[in-house]
Amino acid sequence: MALDHSCEDYRRTTRRSLLMGAGISSVAWMTRSALSQVGVRPGNADAGGDIVVSIFLRGGADGMSVVVPYGEDAYHRARPNIGLARPNDNSAAANARCLDLDGFFGLNPALAPLLPLYKDGHLAVVHAVGSGDQTRSHFEAMNLMERGLGQPVGDVASGWLARHLASSPPRAASPLRAVSISSTMPDSLRGATDALAIESLDRFRIDSDQDAAVRQSLASLYKHGKDAMSIAGRETLDVLDTLNRLDPKSYKAANGATYPVSDLGQGLRQVAFLVRANVGLEVACLDRGGWDTHVVQGATTGLLALQLDDLGACLAAFAADLGSDLMKRVSVVVQTEFGRRLQENTSLGTDHGRASMMLLIGGGFKGGKVYSQWPGLEEHQLEDPGDLKVTTDYRDVLAEVLTKRVQHANLGQVFPGYVPNPLGVC
Amino acid sequence: MLSRRRLIGLGLAGATLSGCTRIARGLDGDRLPADLTLPAGDVHPTVRLLDRAGFGPRPGEVAEVERTGREAWLESQLHPDDNEPSGLKFQLSRLDVSNIDGMELRDMPENEMLRQMSQAAILRAIYSPWQLRERMVDFWTNHFNIYARKGLAAYRKPNDDLHVIRANALLTFPNLLRASAHSPAMLAFLDNRQNMRGVANENYARELMELHTLGVHGGYTQYDVQEVARCFTGWTVEDGFLQHRGAFKFDPERHDRGEKTVLGVKIPAEGGQNDGEHVLEILAHHPACARFIAQKMVRHFLGGANEAWVSKLAKIYTETGGDIPSMLRPLLLSQEALEGDPVSKRPLDFVVSALRALDADTDGGRQIQDHLVAMGQPLFEWPMPDGYPDKTSAWTGSLLARWNFALKLASNQLEGSTVDLKHLASRIGQGGDADKMVAVVLPGRDLAHIQEAAKGAELSQFAALSLCAPEFQWR
Repeated sequence: MALDHSCEDYRRTTRRSLLMGAGISSVAWMTRSALSQVGVRPGNADAGGDIVVSIFLRGGADGMSVVVPYGEDAYHRARPNIGLARPNDNSAAANARCLDLDGFFGLNPALAPLLPLYKDGHLAVVHAVGSGDQTRSHFEAMNLMERGLGQPVGDVASGWLARHLASSPPRAASPLRAVSISSTMPDSLRGATDALAIESLDRFRIDSDQDAAVRQSLASLYKHGKDAMSIAGRETLDVLDTLNRLDPKSYKAANGATYPVSDLGQGLRQVAFLVRANVGLEVACLDRGGWDTHVVQGATTGLLALQLDDLGACLAAFAADLGSDLMKRVSVVVQTEFGRRLQENTSLGTDHGRASMMLLIGGGFKGGKVYSQWPGLEEHQLEDPGDLKVTTDYRDVLAEVLTKRVQHANLGQVFPGYVPNPLGVC
Repeated sequence: MLSRRRLIGLGLAGATLSGCTRIARGLDGDRLPADLTLPAGDVHPTVRLLDRAGFGPRPGEVAEVERTGREAWLESQLHPDDNEPSGLKFQLSRLDVSNIDGMELRDMPENEMLRQMSQAAILRAIYSPWQLRERMVDFWTNHFNIYARKGLAAYRKPNDDLHVIRANALLTFPNLLRASAHSPAMLAFLDNRQNMRGVANENYARELMELHTLGVHGGYTQYDVQEVARCFTGWTVEDGFLQHRGAFKFDPERHDRGEKTVLGVKIPAEGGQNDGEHVLEILAHHPACARFIAQKMVRHFLGGANEAWVSKLAKIYTETGGDIPSMLRPLLLSQEALEGDPVSKRPLDFVVSALRALDADTDGGRQIQDHLVAMGQPLFEWPMPDGYPDKTSAWTGSLLARWNFALKLASNQLEGSTVDLKHLASRIGQGGDADKMVAVVLPGRDLAHIQEAAKGAELSQFAALSLCAPEFQWR
């Protein structure tokens, strides 16, 4: 069996040239390997732009329960059981009301830990945002967003973050340039030549008393192969070398921040460690599932509120841990594949819809504001089966973050054929 | 409440299981052939067949299939019976989930349910001679994925595993689909249990078309999703007092009795439960379904897109009424499968093929499962309805965890699993330790770099490095 003959999947993941441009691929690889042998050069804190922390809420988070358009009568009519009450609605229990943001939108009280960030101008909300996906399929919609597309057309296989990395020079030679804190690689990093999925930095080590000898043998085993596994093996060994010099386990959060024990909380703790360790991190991906609330979704308590409790606590801990100085160099982007139907269903949940919201956290954002061309919720203002219309393309937000915060100069490579309209969020 | 399990006296079965592997294996004797040296000649396609149709060869198996002939071997695999080796039967019999209906086990913690279910799946994959059935069980388990940590799914899934997936893995797709649609585990997982007239719940309706039958571009619309959802209103799970809790139930009170139109077909009013049955017929016999299932099989068994094979299999699906063996037979014996590009192993493939390659004696228990968790594939725990990904790029991050597993296994540091490498090596005629271990793990390959990588090492290190090698990550 010749490993050089490749099947489609195999070929796609091994051909650096797809992303890097023909000709330079093998050179790029050699350069990176050679540099990583001399160790990670400490990054220059002033060079380059923000570190992107991309958090994907999988399952279609109900934007209208996260950031509630309480000013719409139609919202309250359509959601007699799972709607949140107006902030000043004295007929409702205090804990059933949303927290006012701007006189029209209110925050789910489960996200109360984020309110100070909003008030300080470090949290911006974008509403009625989404993609052109019409299938309302989780997988189609996620795939579209993670590939950075507007419509399911074309043969772009790689992820938007992978293309961002491929079309900008690394700020430092680092095996930890892009990290997904997960067991499987997200599609947004698909095709990235210098990304690695790591479930836990603490446990990222060879479990043997002959660690050094084993690593040497593995390096020899993996040194020649051109297949996707061989390439990944070399990257894994690079990261092992780097983490060997650091000590992620001993990391203590600063400023009294306490991360929740959830995967997202522990994941963000590890991202904070990498940010502080200054190891050349440029992109971190995390996700959190469980947003597909077809049944008993609840309002300020219940299934969705439990999700939001954790999300809010995780994000607040991350921002507190890094503190306002480091957060000036970090852009947290929270997104989801679609929002949910306005009308609640008979099982007290909501079905797949269209537009949702995005949350942006970081010192570089012009926060304290909900950015939205609000389409309205009256019947004639909704789309098809009764969904919130998408009035802002999610790529407008990502593109603005990349250009203004990350100082990316090749937007055409990341969102081919798309001309973004900046919202002024940063 | 006194549990039925304790009444039956099996309460300690799980706890004492790990000590039983030796006894279990004793029941089957030493199954290693006297000589493991490979026959000369055309070996690769047979190794490949065992890798693709099953979970990789065990020592001696390649020669065995060579003697039987690949066609004859595959033919028998397509028609498995319930005859399993005594050791496997013994180990399975010690698991509560093998003996008692899952819904009766509700005093058992969810984690223990999952552990036993995974244990059964791993043991079968390693020790069942019906390798193709185990592979197809894995395939359909992911196709009709159920996340065992949602609600009571951990208690419902054992039934689904046995009566939906296993029972139909090698029969016809329409049967499998029907069984799944009536399965309480599926009704609960995709919320159809709560689907009732009014504003119907679309969850099952959508995934039924998108993931189970037609594919997302299979020609249905949002309107079809809503109409199918109406058809399935009232399909629920029994939970009444003194009733058989957890069984399928149709509740006419919750059913939308009006007329519906699905994919252009009118479904008359007052159809009751038949509305849903009718939808299943329409979908299972839809040309898009034939193509979708064909595509999925091609992806799984050839590792990528292959339009010629998709058309061929879709045609067979249509002609045979979705007969699964009729589709698998030509595909698995094709030149593309036997001599084409390799397909990457998912963690379960890797772990099971490693245990098989070294002829390990294992309980399939917690230690193995912890390693699967570290690799990102705890069984029955993919939360989304689409099943574990099969693209290589999703799994390249699991290499370190694979290496750690290989190192532990080969050096006998994995509690509940043992390997006897000396015994294995003694059955191979020629060559040094490295040659012998490479011959066992990667039969038929010339892998000088493994020898080089482990110069002067012990037998166990050669075995570990052979399992760690990039070549062993492909099948």
